[in-house]
Amino acid sequence: MPIKAMTQEWMDAYKAAIQADPDYRNIAKDWEGSVALVVNPDPSKNVPEPIYLFMDYWHGDVGEFVVCDKAKAESAKFVMTGDYARWKQVAFKELDATKALLQGKLKMKGDLPYVVRNIKTVNKVIDILGKVDTLWPDDHK
Amino acid sequence: MAGGYAGKFLRVDLSKGSWDDFTIADDVLRQYIGGSCLAAKLFLERYPIEADPLSPENPLMIMTGPMVGSGFPGTSRFSVCAKSPQTGIWAESACGGTFGPELKRAGYDGIVIEGRSEKPVVLSIIDSKIALSDASSLWGKDIYEATDELKAADRSIKALVIGPAGENLARIAAIGNDKGHFSGRAGLGAVMGSKNLKAVLVKGNAGKAPKADDDAFKTAMKAAMQEIKESALAEGLHMMGSDANMDLGMVTGDVPVKNWTSGGEFDLANSLSGPTMREKYLTKAHACTNCPIACKRVVKVEDGPYTAEEGPGPEYETCAVFGTMLMNPDLTAVIKANELCNRYGMDTISCGSAVALAMELFEKGTVTKEQLDGLDLSWGRMDSVLELVKKMAYRQGFGDILADGAVHAARRIGGDAIDAVVHVKGLEAPMHDPRGFHGMGLAYMMSNRGACHLQHFVLATEQGMASWPQLFDMKDDYQGTTSEGKAALVYNSENYGILANSLAICHYVAYSIKPETLRDAFNAVTGFGFTFTNLLSTGMRDWTLKRGFNNLLGISKKDDILPKRIMTALDAGGAAGSVPDVDLLLKEYYELRGLDERGFPKAEILAVLGLDDLKARLYQ
Repeated sequence: MPIKAMTQEWMDAYKAAIQADPDYRNIAKDWEGSVALVVNPDPSKNVPEPIYLFMDYWHGDVGEFVVCDKAKAESAKFVMTGDYARWKQVAFKELDATKALLQGKLKMKGDLPYVVRNIKTVNKVIDILGKVDTLWPDDHK
Repeated sequence: MAGGYAGKFLRVDLSKGSWDDFTIADDVLRQYIGGSCLAAKLFLERYPIEADPLSPENPLMIMTGPMVGSGFPGTSRFSVCAKSPQTGIWAESACGGTFGPELKRAGYDGIVIEGRSEKPVVLSIIDSKIALSDASSLWGKDIYEATDELKAADRSIKALVIGPAGENLARIAAIGNDKGHFSGRAGLGAVMGSKNLKAVLVKGNAGKAPKADDDAFKTAMKAAMQEIKESALAEGLHMMGSDANMDLGMVTGDVPVKNWTSGGEFDLANSLSGPTMREKYLTKAHACTNCPIACKRVVKVEDGPYTAEEGPGPEYETCAVFGTMLMNPDLTAVIKANELCNRYGMDTISCGSAVALAMELFEKGTVTKEQLDGLDLSWGRMDSVLELVKKMAYRQGFGDILADGAVHAARRIGGDAIDAVVHVKGLEAPMHDPRGFHGMGLAYMMSNRGACHLQHFVLATEQGMASWPQLFDMKDDYQGTTSEGKAALVYNSENYGILANSLAICHYVAYSIKPETLRDAFNAVTGFGFTFTNLLSTGMRDWTLKRGFNNLLGISKKDDILPKRIMTALDAGGAAGSVPDVDLLLKEYYELRGLDERGFPKAEILAVLGLDDLKARLYQ
C-alpha cells in the first residue's frame, strides 16, 4: 500500500527502510549530522505549501525523522532546497542529486566538502528513498 | 577595428634576431576569433606543416583572444600552439595565470616565434621595448629558480619559462607561467627548448583594449558575477579545487586506478581528495587574473618524508595520475611530484602516465631494477617515482626512455608494452575513464590534439555539472555508461566548448555562467553581434580546421580509436562491465560532423564553413 509522500507516516517508513538496509550502517559510518529537505510549493502538483523534512543521521544510526516547521529545518547541519518536481526526479533517479546541485536545480546550505567526502552515504539514502512505496501528491486522484 | 583586440601581433625570428608587427583583418577575426583557432589558421597559411616539430621551421604561437584582459571572469587565458613533438599532429595547450592579460596590456594579441637562436635567449616585451637577451646563465635552472631570477628586479613582469625538461627536448615538456600555471600538454616546452628560448617576459603599458559597448559589458559582467556567486560548482571549485572530482569520480567510475586496470578504490580516493587537501595542506586558494572562483591550490607540507614549502598545489589530474594510477595513497608524495614536474617543466599527466607504464612493466618483469639503476618501482613506491621523475627531466638512464611520454616509451620498449598505454593519436588520456563516461571516449577519439578533456565541454555536460538546453537539446542527467545519444552531446559540447580556447575563457567560468551571459559579454567586447548559431558555427569551423590540419599530416579514420585497455571492461568500480560502443558513437558522430568514410571533412562542409583553402589542399 503506497504511503503519501512527505507525511509523517512516509518519514517513518523511510527511516525504517534505512534501518533495514543491510549496507547502510557501514557506508554511513562516518556521517554525522542532520539533513533537512525543503520542498518548494507547487500548487499545480498538489503541493500548495512548502514542506519541511528533518532527518538526523549519526555514524550509521538514524535518529529523528520528522515533518517539521521552517525553523527546525533551518537548524539542520545541511539544508537542501528544491522544487517538488526536482525532488521527485531525484527520488525516481531521473536526476542525480549531485548533478542537480551543480546545475542549480537544488540548493544546499552546509559544508560542501563534507558532502563530497561522504558522497556514497548521500547516494545510499537516495537509493533507499526510491524503494519506499510512495504515493506522490500529483499522483492523487 | 573589432573591439577587444589589441590590434597587432608580434612576429619574432630567433634565427635572425629580428622582429616585426603584423595585423589581421577584421573579417578574418570574425571567422577565427583568436586563440588556438586563429593560430591554426595562421599555421596553415604561413608555415610548412610537414616540418619536424623540433626544427626551426615549426612556429611557436602564443595567442590570446578578444575577451582576454577585458576584466570578465576567467579571461586570463592564452593558448600555446605548434606542431607537437609528442604526437606529430596539431598541438595546443591553454593556460590560465597572468601572462595573457599582460600581453594584451603590452599591446599584442599574440606572439609568433620562428626559427632558432644560436644560443639561449630571453624574449622580453617590457613597456613597449622588445629585446632578445642572453640567457646562458639561466639555462639549466628549473622553472621556479629561473622565474624568481627573471622577476627579481620587477615582480610585476609576467613570465613564461621552460625548465630542464624543455631544454633537454623531453617531448612531454611544459611551459610555466609564474610558477603556478602551465601549458602542459603535447610537449610545447620542447618546441620552446628547440628554439633555445628560455623565457618570454612581458609587462604592458598600453592599457586595456577598447570594448565595443562598455554599458552592455558592465551588464554582462554583473550577471556573470551573480551567476558565479550562486553556482554550487564554482563554490566547490573554490573550496576544493579541481580535485573535488576525486571522491565523486571514484563513485561514478571516472577515476582511473592502477594504470586503468581497476576501480572502486574509495579509501584511496578519500586520501587523495580535494576535501583532504583542504583539511590538511591547503594554505590558501589562488586565482588567475580576473577570476572570482580561485580554484588554484596553494599548499604546504610540514611533516613527513615529502615536506614542501608553500607553493602551487596539484590539480585533480595530478592527484589521479600520481595517486590512484600508481596506487599511492600519500597526498604529500603527490604534492612533491607536482612540485618536481613544475620545477623541471613536465606535463603531469604525461609524466605520471609514463611512470604508471613503467610500474606495470616492472611488475611484469619486462623492466628490471637493473634497468632502473636500482629503483624499486613496485606500485606505490613514491620514493622511487620521485627519483624517476628527475631522471626523466634530465634524460638519465631509464628516464631517457620515459621522457618522451608513454607512447614513445612503449614503442622503444617493444613487445606488448603499447597495450598498457591509454592514449589517442599519441597523447596519453587525461584522468577520466571512458568506460565510466562513454561520451568522453568519443571526445578522446575526436579531439584534435589527441585524447583530451579540454577541447570541449563534454566533462561538464555528460557528468551533469552543467545543463544548457537553450543551446541544444540535452537532458538534465545522462547515464555515463551508455553510448546512445552521446554523439550529439559530444558534437554540440565540442562546438560550444572549443570556443573557450578561442575567446579565450576558462572552462570553469563557462560551466558556471549561462551561455546567454557569455554570448552577451562576447558581443559587448567585440561588437560582432553573434547569435548562438554564429558562435556554434565558429566552433564547427575551429574543429574542422584543426581536423583538416591533421588530415594533411595523415590522420584518418584509422586513428579515431580507443586503445585496447579501454575496450576491456573493468570488474570493479562505477564503470564495471562497461565499454563504449565505439561503432555506434563514431557512426553517429561522423554523420553529424560531415566526415567522409576516410575521416576527412566533406568538401561541402568545408565550403559552408568558408575553409576553401583547406578544401583545395585536402581535395587537390
